[in-house]
Amino acid sequence: MDASELQPITDFIQGLVPFDTLSNLTLDRCCKSLSVGYYSKASRFVPLDPNNPQLYIVRCGAFEVRDKNGELLDRLGEGDYFGFPSLLSGEDASNRVAILEDGLVYHLPPNMFDFLRQESREFDRFFNRAFAKRLRHQGRFKAKELTTTSRVSTLMSHSPLTIDMKASVAEASRLMRASRVSSVLVIDNNKLVGILTDKDLRNRVLAENLDGSLPVHQAMTTTPVTIESNSLVFEAMLLMSEHNIHHLPVVDNGVTTGVVTSTDILRGQSSQPLLLIGEIERQKDLQSLIQVSKQIPLLLQNLISADARAEEIGRVLTSVTDALTRRLIVLNQQILGEAPMAFCWLAFGSQGRQDQAACSDQDNGLLLAHEPDEAAQGYFEALSHAVCKGLDECGYVYCPGDIMAQNPKWRMSLDKWKQVFDKWVNTPEPKALMHASIFFDMRSVYGPQTLFDGLQDAVLSNTKNNDIFLAGLTGNSLTSSPPLGFFRKFVLERDGSEVKGIDLKHKGNALINDIARVYALSAGIKEVNTAKRIRALMEQSIINRKDALNLADAHEFIAHMRLSNQGYQYTQSLPVTNYLMPQNLSSLVRHQLRDAFKVVHDGQVGLKLKMMRSY
Amino acid sequence: MRNLYLKTRLQLNALFCKEAVISDYNRALVAQISKPLSQLPLMAVDLEMTGLDCQFDQILSIGLIPIHNGLLQVAKSQQLLVSIDGSVGDSAAIHGILDNQLTQAVSAKQAMAWFLEQTKGHVLVAHHAPLDLCFLKTEIQRCYGQTIQFVAIDTMAVEKRRLLRQHDVIKEGTLRLDACRQRYGLPVYAAHNAAVDALACGELLLAQMAGIAGNDELSLFDLLG
Repeated sequence: MDASELQPITDFIQGLVPFDTLSNLTLDRCCKSLSVGYYSKASRFVPLDPNNPQLYIVRCGAFEVRDKNGELLDRLGEGDYFGFPSLLSGEDASNRVAILEDGLVYHLPPNMFDFLRQESREFDRFFNRAFAKRLRHQGRFKAKELTTTSRVSTLMSHSPLTIDMKASVAEASRLMRASRVSSVLVIDNNKLVGILTDKDLRNRVLAENLDGSLPVHQAMTTTPVTIESNSLVFEAMLLMSEHNIHHLPVVDNGVTTGVVTSTDILRGQSSQPLLLIGEIERQKDLQSLIQVSKQIPLLLQNLISADARAEEIGRVLTSVTDALTRRLIVLNQQILGEAPMAFCWLAFGSQGRQDQAACSDQDNGLLLAHEPDEAAQGYFEALSHAVCKGLDECGYVYCPGDIMAQNPKWRMSLDKWKQVFDKWVNTPEPKALMHASIFFDMRSVYGPQTLFDGLQDAVLSNTKNNDIFLAGLTGNSLTSSPPLGFFRKFVLERDGSEVKGIDLKHKGNALINDIARVYALSAGIKEVNTAKRIRALMEQSIINRKDALNLADAHEFIAHMRLSNQGYQYTQSLPVTNYLMPQNLSSLVRHQLRDAFKVVHDGQVGLKLKMMRSY
Repeated sequence: MRNLYLKTRLQLNALFCKEAVISDYNRALVAQISKPLSQLPLMAVDLEMTGLDCQFDQILSIGLIPIHNGLLQVAKSQQLLVSIDGSVGDSAAIHGILDNQLTQAVSAKQAMAWFLEQTKGHVLVAHHAPLDLCFLKTEIQRCYGQTIQFVAIDTMAVEKRRLLRQHDVIKEGTLRLDACRQRYGLPVYAAHNAAVDALACGELLLAQMAGIAGNDELSLFDLLG
């Protein structure tokens, strides 16, 4: 008379993420630990017993999770969970679960929940994520609804392209091409008489077999719908959808002051990275690039509040920096003329690793195809100064350590760079090892890939299996350790401004970067992005799968904490730093952070064992 | 008043019964039945039989699942196969219990001892309870030579009263377990065995209790009809 299997329950639980990752045996034990309750609308709220927290699994019915202020956090139906925040944090439930529709709910007891978290990494991760998500949902500041509060004047382009109505459509097209816009306003005696768009050129000129000599006034849309600059963006959107148009001339008191397009509105809404990059590539001088780069902090904010993964945010921000750098190089080459030889613009450090965040400084260098003569030297000096200055004015401040292309020390031919790296690798002095953390994370942002590959291949063949260098590098990376002591006592460091906190960058992510770098150099892996390095190391079985995944998770988690902390600082108009105030943390996040730092610590121990065993 | 009557009947049966197992069973119930329903230990029961006549047909299997503090205890769900004289015959098509599975089965006498031990101090819950009770009483009479008093909630009777009170016309089939469950939005279970049906019946009772009570405290007699 063994306990019977209740197939319907097992079938249901088995189909749920994350229970689907459990082994049959574990699943069986799990299902047998359940109890089944029924909640009726008449009782309005699910009674959550603070002394007996459970994981609640909705079998049928509908529920709503609301915080103590009655704010809706989540809506639940079949297969959803509630109650896990108290199980994870050990704190009393502060949320209430309202019953929308009578339903059957399975209860999983806390000891089984803990057992499953230990048993399955996926299970643990799933609920930690779910909790973090709900926390973020709770803490999320209400983003101002842009379309309903801001005015057209904030989005429109102020000096619209205009053309006389007697000009030819060919002239108008050339003008539009030169300015890379899709519309031009048609003027007669300083008065707006029409608008000519790409669509008009297609429908009224090309499709009608007419040629470019056609006067503009015969192809334009006459008396276009206009808007005033102090109208709401919302109204502009309404007009556009009402008339099925994408361009609105802005007219104030009879004077044409600008034009607003659907793209402007879209851009304003989300500071889309793609649009931003597109805009960077359209700019024609430094001043306008500086103007565009002012949107970068907003982009970061939007990405943070959209809950993007930290790794993705780093990659997106870095691709913006890359685009900006490339555009600066191109613009300056238009002034200075063609380069006398092939060259690569090298990005080091965080830009190299593609994990830039707010307040990044520049780390870059110039790789020349061969030894420059005096004229070439003059050219590259002028170019690098101009680009570094441009970056500085766009918000990427000069590197305090002077690791920049404008420093002649870091503007060298391929052979010289090889010699420098050779020296660092073969006589690993403290200073050389310090440089390693910056220079060995290098990436080419501009220039022929083959030239860059020549340098990277040479460097990696030098570092691969070079025990002495790797041991030195390891020793250097172990001089700093994760702040595990913080969790016993508030052992904190000082930032210049007398503010205490945990340094998430130097005591967290930088250490993981170090670990990944040493392993990558030891194996000759070309990747420089830390997450990609870890993935490559896992695929080549240099780090075992579990450690690699843990390290990648810890990296993501700490980076995410750092970004959301910076997002918080930004919205509170505090100085943006890498320091996290421990008093702002809930006990669960503290617990997760400790776990993450523990992973960093274990990673350091593993690295030491592997790389320094001969010492 | 009804409380007193039921208690007296249980007490009397305990007093006159010559079999200790049965008088203990009835006495244990006396202590429980005046508790509010939410604290009263309940046991959802389902029997699979070879037919519907409790005098001639036999019990094939017994499924049990307790309800403690308003929660069905999956951990304590059990199913027992009972050996029979002859073959399971036609009813195999319904229960899926085949003759060769009955090799793990226990004798009717052992099954009744097990049943009394498991359900002691519990009010039984069954869908169309009179049928199941009739089989159990007959079998116990056969095994122990004594009459037993059960206290049982019949989810079918509860549902019938509820429908009549709403002046619903009760058509054929509207009181079947699956049909009742559907009205409460409870899931459809494809598998049928005694344990699953006991679970299904227990869930139905929880839904019925929630529907009747709202926030008020229910007593056993609200459900006994």
